[in-house]
Amino acid sequence: MGAYFLEAVNVLAANRMRSILTIIGLIVGVAAIVAIQVAAAGMSGAVGGIFKGLNANTFYVFPKSEQGNNVRAGFHPADLTMLEQLPGVQTAIPFSGDRTMVDAGHQRVRLKFGGESDRRFSTAPVVAGHTIDAGEVANAASVCVLSDDAFSRLFPDEHDPENVLGQSIYVGAKRYVIVGVLGQTKIDTASLGFDISNDVAIPYTTYYNNYQRGSAFLGIEILGSASGDPKDLENRVKAALAQTHSGSEYQVFDFAFFLKSINGFFAVVGLIVSAVGAISLLVAGIGIMNIMLVSVTERTREIGVRKAIGAKRSQILAQFFVEALLLSGLGCFVGLLLGVLLGGSADAAFISRISGVTAPIPWLEVLLIAAGFATIVTVAFGTYPAFRAALLDPIEALRYE
Amino acid sequence: MNSSPYVIDVRNVTKTYRSGSLEVEALRGVTFTIEHGEYVAIMGPSGSGKSTLMNVLGCLDRATSGTYLLDGVDVSQLDDNALASIRLKKLGFVFQGFNLLARTDAVKNVALPLFYAGVPPRERSAAAQKQLAEVGLADRGKHKSNELSGGQQQRVAIARALVNDPAVLLADEPTGNLDSKTSVEILALFERLNAAGRTIIVVTHDENVASHAKRILRVLDGLVVSDEPPARLSLMKS
Repeated sequence: MGAYFLEAVNVLAANRMRSILTIIGLIVGVAAIVAIQVAAAGMSGAVGGIFKGLNANTFYVFPKSEQGNNVRAGFHPADLTMLEQLPGVQTAIPFSGDRTMVDAGHQRVRLKFGGESDRRFSTAPVVAGHTIDAGEVANAASVCVLSDDAFSRLFPDEHDPENVLGQSIYVGAKRYVIVGVLGQTKIDTASLGFDISNDVAIPYTTYYNNYQRGSAFLGIEILGSASGDPKDLENRVKAALAQTHSGSEYQVFDFAFFLKSINGFFAVVGLIVSAVGAISLLVAGIGIMNIMLVSVTERTREIGVRKAIGAKRSQILAQFFVEALLLSGLGCFVGLLLGVLLGGSADAAFISRISGVTAPIPWLEVLLIAAGFATIVTVAFGTYPAFRAALLDPIEALRYE
Repeated sequence: MNSSPYVIDVRNVTKTYRSGSLEVEALRGVTFTIEHGEYVAIMGPSGSGKSTLMNVLGCLDRATSGTYLLDGVDVSQLDDNALASIRLKKLGFVFQGFNLLARTDAVKNVALPLFYAGVPPRERSAAAQKQLAEVGLADRGKHKSNELSGGQQQRVAIARALVNDPAVLLADEPTGNLDSKTSVEILALFERLNAAGRTIIVVTHDENVASHAKRILRVLDGLVVSDEPPARLSLMKS
């Protein structure tokens, strides 16, 4: 077998230009499919990173939009108290958070502003002061905690977050004293298509008093306990709310939902790229078959000589089969490297930078893909030319000019 | 080697080609024997059946009827794969156009039959090198076939034909592509090999080439029409 390989290497090396042109299609096809695999793996890794960066047992409850009586389904502070008594619920607060203008000194910046509990939903580190505490929640204090982004935009000349503690910001006419500044989470969830953390967080009680009082609020943000089945908790929350709201229906958004939408997006992209890849592989395979047929025809006389010398059909078959295998193997290998490079760069440029998570390249999967394609292309498109060669009549072949 | 005195024993061999409704009788009952160590020329004009006879003798083709014993083995009814292995073990081919593998060095070319015989690589090279030395090309082993002269290429081809120690060396117009000086060298090589005991069959239309053999079979219209030692052409020439 080794000798067949050496022989094939010699033949392909002698026809270098032709061999390279033949496998370009294969390279492109495999590279496309491998790249999307690598990028998708990076994306899953990034989603894993979000789970680490935020409390994964956070979820949101909203009334189902397609029901008649949204007033009856709306939430009130009593619902929060009720939910907090459910086993597995750490805290429940009104869903809030809007892009609004925030003033600090001469700076006026549009930021996401919302209420939070003393039980934190974000796992961003605290770099100065403290996060909203239980007392501030209980007293509905006019205090706020800034994200790193809010800090740098509201205080562009300030480098030490400690210096802004005790200073005030304004949202409309309301004044809030800065009690804490957060560090970077590395996860900009907004770039991934959903935005859950606030840039400027005040106690949810304060937010309710200042902005939501007197009307039902549209959603509840729930932090479940780390242990326990999140789906079960979500169902119990929905059931409890349905009971107290005379049969209204509710829907839940959780990380599984975000994950599903991200994966769904990638599945569609993956499908399109795979289809393009499959077509290019088909074309590449036909190209390989064509060049192998040319090779068989060109070497008809050589095949005749080999047969006259005593080569069996199976030996001629093996020779051309190995040549096709080498061609497609080479194409798939280069495609694999190129795909890993492309997918890896895409990961590094977009996904890792957003998530701060570098997912390992799924070598096993991409190797299997490349090897699989090499095999399929060889068997599907290399077999016929190899048989043509093997079945040549030695007398005819020797006579061929 | 074998109890039969004949390396080739052809009895009443016919070969009929069919193309559509047309039947062409290329061989119409050929009978002859060749003993071990003979040097035979087969001659005949084109269309005489000479090439067909060579193909049958070379186990590239099967006779339509009759029997053909090669080195004691009846090869008349063997299938393609069995014929391939007969060619591998018992026959060595030398062609008019040398037919070496391009871009491949002499040792590898000579070793090709051993490759098909499943001989391990190291033994292959050693045997090929030895055979090259026997045809006077000991120092040309690493040269690619396109770096060799015509005469050298033909000698590499002869070494390739002999590397499996075949029962018969079958040469088809071996000097057809060579100038007269090189032809003489190749024919001298054949004589030397024959003197050392090789059975050689040369198919040619060249009386001068045939005159080096010890026996000439003349083929005409699918029949062997004469079987005798060469006339002493050399006398006429000198």
